Amino acid sequence: MMMNQGVNAQAVAAADPNSLESRYAFDANQGQAQSYLPSASGSEAASWTVHKVEGYPSQDGVPANASYQHGQQPEPHTKNVQDGSYVAPLSSSSTVGTASAPQDYNSYTSYSNTTDPYSAYSGYYNGYQQQTNNQYSQQQPNPSYSQSVEAYQNTGAAYQPNSSFQNTGSYAGTASYSTTYYNPDNYQTAGGYPSSGYNNQPTASNTGSYANYTSYQYPNYTSDTSSAYGSGSAPTTFQQQYKQWPEYYSQTEVTCAPGTEHLSAAGNSNHGSSLPSVSGGYPTPTNQPQPLPPPPPPPSLNPTWRPETSSSVLPSMQPAGAASGAHDNYWNQTAPSFQTHLAAPTQPLYQNSLDSKTSYENFQELKTAPQGQNSQYTVYQVSQNYQPTSPTVLSFDARRVSKLQIPTNPRIASNAALGIAKIEKDGSAANSLPRPAYVSVAVQKPKDKMSSNNAADPMLKPTMYPKSLCGYVERAFGRYKDDDKKREACEAFMKEIITEAIAEGTLYTRDWDSMPLFTLPDSHSVNNENIQSPTPAAIPNYKKSPIRRSKSRWEPLPEVKMLDKPDSASNETGKFGSWDKRTFNGYSATKDNSLSSFRFSASHQKTPSKSAQRPMKRQRIVNGAGLTNNDDDASSDGDKDQSLTAYYSGAMALADNPEEKKRRESRSKRFERGQGHRPDINYFKPKNAGPANLYTKRASALMLSKSFDDSANQAVEDIDWDALTVKGTCQEIEKRFLRLTSAPDPSTVRPEDVLEKALLMVQNSQKNYLYKCDQLKSIRQDLTVQRIRNQLTVKVYETHARLAMEVGDLAEFNQCQSQLQILYSEGIEGCLMEFAAYNLLCVILHSNNKRDLLTSMSRLTQEAKEDVAVKHALAVRAAVTSGNYVAFFKLYKSAPNLNTCLMDLYVEKMRYQAAVCMSKSYRPTVPISYIAQILGFSNATAEGNGEKVLTGLDECLEWLKAHGASLITDNTGEMQLDAKASSSTLFMPEPEDAVAHGDSSLAVNDFLARTS
Amino acid sequence: MAYLSMGESHRRITDYLNRFVDAINYQDGDSLARLFSVSSDTPSLLSLADALNVFQDANRLIKQSEKFSQFGEVVAPFFRSLQSYRLGNLVDAYRAFEKASNAFIQEFRNWESGWALEALYVIAYEIRVLAERVDRELASNGKSPEKLKGAGSFLMKVFGVLAGKGPKRVGALYVTCQLFKIYFKLGTVHLCRSVIRSIETARIFDFEEFPTRDKVTYMYYTGRLEVLNENFPAADQKLSYALTHCSLNKEANIRMILKYLIPVKLSIGILPKKQLLENYNLVEYNNIVEALKRGDLRLLRSALQENEDQFLRSGVYLVLEKLELQVYQRLLKKIYIIQKLKDPSKAHQMKLEVIVKALKWLEIEMDVDEVECIVAILIYKNLMKGYFAHKSKVVVLSKQDPFPKLNGKPVAT
Repeated sequence: MMMNQGVNAQAVAAADPNSLESRYAFDANQGQAQSYLPSASGSEAASWTVHKVEGYPSQDGVPANASYQHGQQPEPHTKNVQDGSYVAPLSSSSTVGTASAPQDYNSYTSYSNTTDPYSAYSGYYNGYQQQTNNQYSQQQPNPSYSQSVEAYQNTGAAYQPNSSFQNTGSYAGTASYSTTYYNPDNYQTAGGYPSSGYNNQPTASNTGSYANYTSYQYPNYTSDTSSAYGSGSAPTTFQQQYKQWPEYYSQTEVTCAPGTEHLSAAGNSNHGSSLPSVSGGYPTPTNQPQPLPPPPPPPSLNPTWRPETSSSVLPSMQPAGAASGAHDNYWNQTAPSFQTHLAAPTQPLYQNSLDSKTSYENFQELKTAPQGQNSQYTVYQVSQNYQPTSPTVLSFDARRVSKLQIPTNPRIASNAALGIAKIEKDGSAANSLPRPAYVSVAVQKPKDKMSSNNAADPMLKPTMYPKSLCGYVERAFGRYKDDDKKREACEAFMKEIITEAIAEGTLYTRDWDSMPLFTLPDSHSVNNENIQSPTPAAIPNYKKSPIRRSKSRWEPLPEVKMLDKPDSASNETGKFGSWDKRTFNGYSATKDNSLSSFRFSASHQKTPSKSAQRPMKRQRIVNGAGLTNNDDDASSDGDKDQSLTAYYSGAMALADNPEEKKRRESRSKRFERGQGHRPDINYFKPKNAGPANLYTKRASALMLSKSFDDSANQAVEDIDWDALTVKGTCQEIEKRFLRLTSAPDPSTVRPEDVLEKALLMVQNSQKNYLYKCDQLKSIRQDLTVQRIRNQLTVKVYETHARLAMEVGDLAEFNQCQSQLQILYSEGIEGCLMEFAAYNLLCVILHSNNKRDLLTSMSRLTQEAKEDVAVKHALAVRAAVTSGNYVAFFKLYKSAPNLNTCLMDLYVEKMRYQAAVCMSKSYRPTVPISYIAQILGFSNATAEGNGEKVLTGLDECLEWLKAHGASLITDNTGEMQLDAKASSSTLFMPEPEDAVAHGDSSLAVNDFLARTS
Repeated sequence: MAYLSMGESHRRITDYLNRFVDAINYQDGDSLARLFSVSSDTPSLLSLADALNVFQDANRLIKQSEKFSQFGEVVAPFFRSLQSYRLGNLVDAYRAFEKASNAFIQEFRNWESGWALEALYVIAYEIRVLAERVDRELASNGKSPEKLKGAGSFLMKVFGVLAGKGPKRVGALYVTCQLFKIYFKLGTVHLCRSVIRSIETARIFDFEEFPTRDKVTYMYYTGRLEVLNENFPAADQKLSYALTHCSLNKEANIRMILKYLIPVKLSIGILPKKQLLENYNLVEYNNIVEALKRGDLRLLRSALQENEDQFLRSGVYLVLEKLELQVYQRLLKKIYIIQKLKDPSKAHQMKLEVIVKALKWLEIEMDVDEVECIVAILIYKNLMKGYFAHKSKVVVLSKQDPFPKLNGKPVAT
């Protein structure tokens, strides 16, 4: 907090030079200090008081402010009451880093209590936002000073929205709130949740009111003439409030009507009216704001009024509503500011303050010239945005916070702890968030309420857009009536177009009627340029975000978001747009937005308990900006997205300005190109400083994976495999097999002629199978890496398959076999028949899948059926299916090629079947010699070179004994199988060489024993 | 194509849109179904396709009125599909149709009752048929045919919409059958298992409540699966169900069922009448049945070889091949009968060399060991009662029912 104050003071000092500007800056600083300072109540109070003095001499305004900012004890006003109520529900939230947060909650809670009736509010609220936006836009264009003031306020509002957003984040305590707040949809649905929905709204309203308040201050300062201020700014805020409130209250409906709203707005009494619930209240509040010189009053005034005029609850409600309305407006307006903020992240604090000053100046000037105002306005916003990132930013944030009061405060605290990085993140995040909201709002405005507002408010009318523009907007939206996403994109475009027009001063001169409806890319680029011009350091991503060219991409995962953010430039606009929608849409009233907004709020706010943890998290953030985000991620998915975005924004802020510029440029180029994540990422990586690096790494990894996904999505044909193919240069014939974990190195890959030698070497080698297998695998790898598919390849696979068969390595054999099938099908010559037979045998003997067998058989050509090997295999199949063991072992002895090896694996089973069969059907005995003969024991395994020569008979005896056969010796001394006795005692013994993985051939010991 | 004016095109398109909206508003599933049948080549849809090709901006018509635009997600891609279909661009037609179908599923999900099931059936059918045709086209162009697979996963989604509780469940079986057709075509029959499980394990919905048409199809395919598994009693039960419930007018369907039911019946010892085989043009089984009757191993082998491709493709080859044992049994029984005629007292002792000689007459060269093995197997499989005396090379048959009939039971394994 102290740090913040100091910063603020500095900022103020910087601001001082310019009288008007200095005022503005000073006020702002104070406001910030207060908001930030919640912990240091004294200093804050002082700052506020000063501010109040400047803006609103009246005590009411001051207390109100205090209450808002601190949301604590100081003010007995309705705000306090509200705060108290909030505290009750959000006690846990209070624990969140800063005391201010709890305060805010308290106030909100009170709101919530009162607001239960307000369920209907959401709809109104939305409408209201739109209206305000419209007004805002209208105001900007207006050349008249008052208009300019309004515009300024609007900007302030926009700016505030950011802060409000942050505040919401700090609020984490009330998840419901956040959701409702951001999500217009939620609001509408809020009918269901009376209390929670209400709470959310109130908070929103508070923030909004704050925003309004700040805006007011600004205008006042700039104008110096309170009257101008009152007329200009006050009405706008009131209108906003009024609109909102009307919705809340039964009265609000009347106000809701565009005409009525305007009327009420004119009166400013909206607050008052809502508070007392009597129309009479209206006039008073309106009057008050106007007379009150201090700009801050709008929010403060509202609370003060409320307490004065009506019961605390009602007033609080009204202010809240007003605030929310204001907030909405802010959001809408803030979108541009956010953009600017992004642009400015790298600028020094001083610059920021200066910018703000200048912007103020500009603003004043603008007042004289509406167009000029607009441009200035944007600048100003930028400066504010920028401030959050830098120390001055902190002050600004504080200001925002103060405006927003509760939400900002917690954040600020965290920011302070974190230092610049944190602030940057928050600021950027906040900025980013408000932006979309702004866009959406802008869109909505034109749609529904533009006309109504125009008609209703004489005040506003002057500031309104030209009718032709309204028509243009309506046309634009008319095309997307049924498509929310498109509409959003359209909104974004419209907004950008209008801002651009305002910036260029062509709002009134343009021929809107003849303007082409959709030039998304153009508008986008234009917007970017505009944004960039005010702040060179602006982040391209943000700029792009408003574009929203493509339909929303709701599917994108958090990672995608991350990617989009950093790469927004590189990414397609569509993606980017989707991202924006997600994070920012929440602010907008549209349904789609609501979801995203909810997430966002959740990430920042979380449940009260989570909020309590927040301080910790924030500190972590200090260590590494990304870390906090990650923590948040753990809490919820939505959090993840948000945190990621926040992280990225922070990272962006960290990046040097020139770098950012470069990146932006490259991105914009890439944008045209479509995809180009990787280079971007790489570029981005090295530049990020310390803590950010880790995250960037991760992010880049994600991006990489993402890009891979993209490529996967691409048609495979699009990949230029030829360009990726390695040409080996290694001349070593022998090479160990190592599974590749990265792209192959040509210096370790053998070219084809060397591989041929290697194959020969393996074939002639006397070493064991393990060595050969290793060598063959490495040959196969080199072939694959070089995409060599010819007869050599077939030879290698055939060699390996045969070797594997000989030692019973079925796994390796199957690999080779499946590769060979593909190679053969490509028309490469080889021992096709031989392997067709192997294939058949494999299916018959090992998989025993009827369907596979059928397909394999039906694939055989007539020519193949004539082949010896295939014929043999088919005969084996027939023998197996009929259980004809005699035929099987005849075939076993006469097997061509290596068919014997495959049949080997089935011999045991076949013998057992035969033994069972014979024991059942033979009586009384069967001679062992006969069994040994028909079951293939005869000399098949007898080896003449050993000292122990096993005859077929002996082996058969052993086998039968091992399987539980009962043997007898007859009169002639010949061993006989006692069939009847054996029929019940035969069993299949557990294989002695059984291994855990079920494939004895894979046991290393067995391998070595057999192959060496 | 005759000249088509813009006005006429406009009229046709609007007419279609009106009918579409009306069908939905009046919940007229049949009418709606007709509007979706792309590949049916009905005149109305063909003329609409022509109109769409003349009047290229049908989307504008759809968006013009709220009435139409609410179904724009369905109709717009459908128009594109129809257009592409008419132009012979099946790939695009399929792609657009799948999009339209997806949108329709979304709508369908929201409809409480199952009134639109007919339309859904048509969509499920069309998407399969289109996918098959596209795959054929793709394959002939040397590209990888993958649309049928995609259609399978789409229908799986549709199945998910229907399979739950409620009035729509009655449509689940139709989609299941379409899925079967796809899986059998793709050779991925193992995928059928999950669908079958959800159909057969659900107790909330009695199988008999499904439409007969779907029940027959379902039983046919599950019966085929059982044939593949060589689970003959189950295959017999399912295919018989299909046969008895199949409409007598659907001769082609009956033939398809019989194609699998006959081998199954043969495997359990039940022979069809010749008339049946001729009525349904299943003459490929004639010789097999004859071989079984006569114990003519040669005839069986030649019959199998003659129709090998056909039997392999339909998947009954292995089943028929197993009939060999029954043919041996029949042959031995014949020998036994002859011996009995000659000398009843020694009829139950059958010399192995007699059997070998009999086989030789059939021009089947088998040595004594092999014949001995066959005899052993026959006894082992309970096709013959008795024992084999190795020393004297004589089969000693039981005096009581030495050749038991299968009587609907499969050969023991």
